[in-house]
Amino acid sequence: MTENSDAAAQLRPGLWATVNERYPGSMITKDDFVPLARLRRPLSESRLTFVSTAGVQPKGSLPFDTVHPVGDYTFRRVASGASPRELEIHQLKYPTHGAARDLNVIFPIERLQELATEGAVGSLTPHFFSFIGYNMDAERLERTLAEEIADAVVADGADVALMSPA
Amino acid sequence: MSLKYLQEAVAAGDAEKLIRYVRLHLGDGDEAAGRVEINKAWIEALKLLLDVPPTNREFILQTIAEQDAATLAHLFFHLHFYFVRRSGDWIHDGEL
Repeated sequence: MTENSDAAAQLRPGLWATVNERYPGSMITKDDFVPLARLRRPLSESRLTFVSTAGVQPKGSLPFDTVHPVGDYTFRRVASGASPRELEIHQLKYPTHGAARDLNVIFPIERLQELATEGAVGSLTPHFFSFIGYNMDAERLERTLAEEIADAVVADGADVALMSPA
Repeated sequence: MSLKYLQEAVAAGDAEKLIRYVRLHLGDGDEAAGRVEINKAWIEALKLLLDVPPTNREFILQTIAEQDAATLAHLFFHLHFYFVRRSGDWIHDGEL
């Protein structure tokens, strides 16, 4: 957010209703069906991870590449115990007005910490995972970024993943 | 746009599709805004040189000579956003 933008200006009425018109060829069809895995134990006994396209990352880490015309196919690990004060957002494509006031609206790290403390979920993985959604190469996204995040999620011992687009 | 769409445009020599994509990217999905953004970056760069201030041409020439074309292309996009930000007229919802 800058002094030149405000919440009202960020709403962009009608923008997302015309994505395919504005970005011809952007609509991706997927024929593969990947069934959701069943929980092996109750949520209150499960280790939960969070995967987000919000572009949230630890302060001081290499900023996501928001200028590249084809996208950024890297991800960042975010310590699940981190404070929002330790995190920042690098992305251009969604309004950050609300997130600038409270990061939890786009990356609910404190809410998830609370759920773990309250016992609603068993525990949190050591890390959450974040990347940016502006990626034009769907094949690379699936074969590289998604696979790497999946491997990292498994390595962190997750039983269940909460996934959220920004 | 998908990468496949852009690659097909390159193969077909369809410059209009390619520049339209650049405008959409730089204008956050608004082609008209993208045109303005491109102009804004060039105007900002021009303004900085009108008084013919000293510049580090050695750095420029060395960078062009030593870096690969893809890195320079990437830098080109970075410079666009640098000059847009410097103009003070930032239309994007997020931050770099």
